[in-house]
Amino acid sequence: MENVTFIEIETSAGTETHAIIDHGNETFTSMPKSEYDRQQAEQSTPPVIE
Amino acid sequence: MAAGLGFKTFTSGEVLTAADTNGYLMQGINVFANASARTAAITSPQEGQYSYLKDTNALEYYDGAAWVGAPVGDITAVTAGTGISGGGSSGDVTITNSMATTIDAKGDLIAGTADNAFARLTVGNNGETLVADSSTSTGLRYQSNFAAGKNAIINGAFNVWQRGTSFTANSAQYTVDRWRISASAYPTTGTWSQQTFTPGTAPASGYEAQYFWRYAITTVGSSTDWYFGQRIEDVRTFAGQTATFSFWAKADTTRTIAVGYNQNFGSGGSGTVSGSVGTTYSLTTSWQRFSATVSLPSISGKTVGTSSYLEVFFQQNSALANGYTVDIWGVQLEAGSVATAFQTATGTLQGELAACQRYYVRWGGLNVYQNFGQGYADQTTTAIIQVPLPVTMRVVPTSIDFSTLNLSTGGTNTTVTNCTLLGGNSSNQIACAYATVASGLTTNRPYGLTANNSFGGYIGFSAEL
Repeated sequence: MENVTFIEIETSAGTETHAIIDHGNETFTSMPKSEYDRQQAEQSTPPVIE
Repeated sequence: MAAGLGFKTFTSGEVLTAADTNGYLMQGINVFANASARTAAITSPQEGQYSYLKDTNALEYYDGAAWVGAPVGDITAVTAGTGISGGGSSGDVTITNSMATTIDAKGDLIAGTADNAFARLTVGNNGETLVADSSTSTGLRYQSNFAAGKNAIINGAFNVWQRGTSFTANSAQYTVDRWRISASAYPTTGTWSQQTFTPGTAPASGYEAQYFWRYAITTVGSSTDWYFGQRIEDVRTFAGQTATFSFWAKADTTRTIAVGYNQNFGSGGSGTVSGSVGTTYSLTTSWQRFSATVSLPSISGKTVGTSSYLEVFFQQNSALANGYTVDIWGVQLEAGSVATAFQTATGTLQGELAACQRYYVRWGGLNVYQNFGQGYADQTTTAIIQVPLPVTMRVVPTSIDFSTLNLSTGGTNTTVTNCTLLGGNSSNQIACAYATVASGLTTNRPYGLTANNSFGGYIGFSAEL
């Protein structure tokens, strides 16, 4: 089961929020929250043959 | 001699006059011993009058000014020459073009076999090309077209598996390189995995494949469908053109799948245009090649945004069940209306890997302390690490995959707890990872990002669509 947390990192560009997705088995995916939100929106509408 | 009057049918009792005699009856062919006798007899010849001279066996007619020879054919026989049969010396003569009769079917060619000799070259199979081959009787041969560059599908032979070889999660994600799975509901237990062909059993003649893709359901839960597709960069791909999609597939028993496409115009672009590729495909327990031609809509009038793509995907079309298994290999999308011989997009393993790495790169699995990049600690808990990318990626990476990482300096190893992307510092040639540890880094000291004493340590960068 995936577990998602959000962290903030301080960079020269300022504060960024990133999503950390824990896939289990010590494997992770991280991405900016904006990218995470985009992918989540896309997941809700999987492609189907019309 | 009177002028000819043409032809007349005399009626019963009609009186035959001198004019009738001279104008009708005397208009036959008059026979004379020679020209002098004719001159003496016919002092006023009429145009069109015929005579026959016995001394020269000449048939002549009077053209209004003089007696001239009647036209006589001088062909006494027709003999068939090279490439022609038939002929004769009397009556109706028929000659036949032997090349034409050698042709038996549409597409047959007549090819030379030697000096003044020819033979039929049977038309090849769809998509084959004609090449010169001195070992054949005609010097020509049809062969499959294995040229690279025609297949818009990257990793259609499933040779590249950077992310692993088996996937059990059912959320939308990339699995075998460039291929993405998705579903609207999920089976309780299912695996998307790499399978290995026994040598010599790959289904395509002339192409010894190594791996194929399998989706296997152990136990069906609430799942209603599955999706397995590839997003081909740029919605302009084959837009407004006819393209042919082909693949090999088999299943645990008779199963039906379907294929669809989406023209996604990207962020800021027009709405997605969708359709089906062919109807449905009935899989059996043996490998079969399926193909369908699709006319992809024109993008005229559309707005193309960023990260647009043409997506082609498989989808189930029959009920899922425990033990449901579908195998796929050799996926190809090419221009035109013919499925030609399968070939990968690039034609080489290294080419396929590089093509895949435009979208995803993963380092790891080679050494327990494999080094991924160098950088420095900007704080006591974070370090900025530059990781070189082997090819120029599609865009600056948008996410990082990682496992079992370590920051190393001077023999001191510190376990990485988080790793995020510094998008503002990254390019599509060098990625900047921001590694976080619990504590203990020395600010401004150089650090290397490595696997943490494990072959399972890795870092991956995604620029997928």
